[in-house]
Amino acid sequence: MPSYILQRLGMMLLTLWAIVTLTFFLMHAVPGGPFVSERMLAPEIAAALNAKYGLDQPIWLQYLSYLKGVLTFDLGPSFKYPGVSINTMIATGLPVTLQTGLLAVICVVALGIPMGIVAALNRNRWPDTAVMMLATIGVAIPSYVIATVLLYVFALRLGWVPTFGLDDWRGYILPVFALSGFWVSFVARLTRSSLLETFEQDYMTTARAKGLRPGQILFKHGLRNSLVPVVTVLGPVVANLITGSFVIEQIFALPGIGRQFVLSITNRDYTAIMGITIFYAAALMVMILIVDLLYAVLDPRIKLSGAKA
Amino acid sequence: MTDPRTIAPEMWAPLHPADSAPATSRPSLTYWQDARRRLWANKPAIVALGFIILLILGAIFGPWFSPYSYADQNLKLANIPPAFETYAVDDGQGGTTRFFLNASNFNLYEVDAEGHVLGLLRGGRKDMLKKVQPFTFGATTVTLDYKTLPARLLTADGATISPSGWSWNRTYLFGTDQLGRDVLVRQLFGARISLTVAFVATLVNFFIGIFYGGLAGYIGGRTDAIMMRIVEIISTVPLTLYVVLLMVVFDSGLYSIIIAIGSVFWVDMARIVRGQILSLKSQDYVAAAKTMGAGTGRILTRHLLPNSIGPIIVTLTMLIPSAIFIESFMSFIGLGVTPPLASWGTLTSEAVETMRAYPHQLFFPAAAISLTMFAFNFLGDGLRDALDPRFRK
Repeated sequence: MPSYILQRLGMMLLTLWAIVTLTFFLMHAVPGGPFVSERMLAPEIAAALNAKYGLDQPIWLQYLSYLKGVLTFDLGPSFKYPGVSINTMIATGLPVTLQTGLLAVICVVALGIPMGIVAALNRNRWPDTAVMMLATIGVAIPSYVIATVLLYVFALRLGWVPTFGLDDWRGYILPVFALSGFWVSFVARLTRSSLLETFEQDYMTTARAKGLRPGQILFKHGLRNSLVPVVTVLGPVVANLITGSFVIEQIFALPGIGRQFVLSITNRDYTAIMGITIFYAAALMVMILIVDLLYAVLDPRIKLSGAKA
Repeated sequence: MTDPRTIAPEMWAPLHPADSAPATSRPSLTYWQDARRRLWANKPAIVALGFIILLILGAIFGPWFSPYSYADQNLKLANIPPAFETYAVDDGQGGTTRFFLNASNFNLYEVDAEGHVLGLLRGGRKDMLKKVQPFTFGATTVTLDYKTLPARLLTADGATISPSGWSWNRTYLFGTDQLGRDVLVRQLFGARISLTVAFVATLVNFFIGIFYGGLAGYIGGRTDAIMMRIVEIISTVPLTLYVVLLMVVFDSGLYSIIIAIGSVFWVDMARIVRGQILSLKSQDYVAAAKTMGAGTGRILTRHLLPNSIGPIIVTLTMLIPSAIFIESFMSFIGLGVTPPLASWGTLTSEAVETMRAYPHQLFFPAAAISLTMFAFNFLGDGLRDALDPRFRK
């Protein structure tokens, strides 16, 4: 186990380095400097700005100093907002993104899995059809369409929830719902098919033959075995909630990192784009590692080792 | 009792050819015949396929039949709905004027009996304080009162005029957007852009993925390990993030987004192809081909890839909706195609700006993209069921 974690950590560092390098050189390949704007700067001012941000140095020196900054958790200053560091930008946005993201994950688990169970237990009867229809809708319709339609119906038409912001608990309902819609549907479908497959296993027949109570059969024998593939997708769920948050935070005007990222793109704030990308990558890899470790705890058949898959 | 060792001569009589071998097996089908049969039996998939074909035809030929182009603006006829309530006012000289009221921008538009939009009606001076505007039709004067919403039309003696009926918009079937452009032709154009991006980017993914996955799977060993580690590193971060980064570097536009999507989403394809090749390359026919002196290229293209075509096609059908989605997503956050070009993403984000006043503008792009995603999902599911040998009966 420790060697497995060490190997994973090594892999993570390598991946992170690759992403830092890629984003750094991509952002420096953008034509025009960060201070090219509609107002022409006097050459002295431009030179002073370049010197302040280290842009007068050769590119490999800039790269090395950026790499050093990343290693010491310093993502540098924003080019568009003087005096604001990328660290501050992330720190102000993180709580919002984390709250909605966490609620969405809870939603995925608390809604998706029961929906799948209900569908599997009532196979080919109306609850199954209803769940599968909802799930198909949820998988097919893009999150930004769901978000705008929800916004129109529940905030503008019915006025049940605020149109933007997170001032009270009702503000969370629509963003969390729009964010988790796809994955609730996905997990429901996955739970259903996995449970149906488990029902055909011999040990389920044995459990029934032993005369166990239906609840026991379902929870101790059925669910425990069929939830393994569901846990595997939780890693990608976290990853996709992040990209989903770009547009959801934009639509609902939530001051999270996703909105910050989209704003930096529209502002062409290259250091912010770079910094937030790297932050995303790092956060993601840590979360995927956690999910993988959890997976091993849940499924005793899986032995974590350094061996290659 | 007859002797069981002797056979009666009548037992030697030849069977009639028709009732000879009882039909215990159905006619043998090739892989493709079988797949086609099973796909055909899957009704949602066939409906989806029909929808996709219609969509492609509409996207290619639709804009030719429209009198408008996707960029034609007519600011006088902006934000016109696809259906409206008409009012008829008698001008006292034997003529009637038909018009409808746009309750969000307080304009009156003249229409004819069939529902063709003729133009904007010019009213008298707007009284900004009292929030009224008179409109004169010959001898009759109608006052538009927007003090209290919804806006009302009043006759000279202060009575409210009620609409005489309603009609579809015959000039602009889907209405117009905030710049007075025809929504229908922009929809069709959006379909053109979205489908072009999806098909071209998927094709690029297809070739890169097959090349990369095929090589990794076939060569195996250390090369495979390194190549798959690279894929693993790439797919650690959501692929959408790379597309965002690439779009920041490129200028936004149609070609950039095709390149950006095409250069990133091949990793899934590479994985699938590699898995297939790995399981197929130890088959006897590959060994036979090798013995006969076939080179790597020939074995890959003639033996391994044709035999893994099923999963490849399924992955392709699943890549198309995700490419459509990514394109509209990028356009929605402002990194996709540039105005005045329309894609479903830009159409949706434009409609969101005017959602409060003109919710109907949101309906068409949202419905178009949702239906298309549905169709590709159903078709993909159907193809998977049809092409996967495990489902063969």
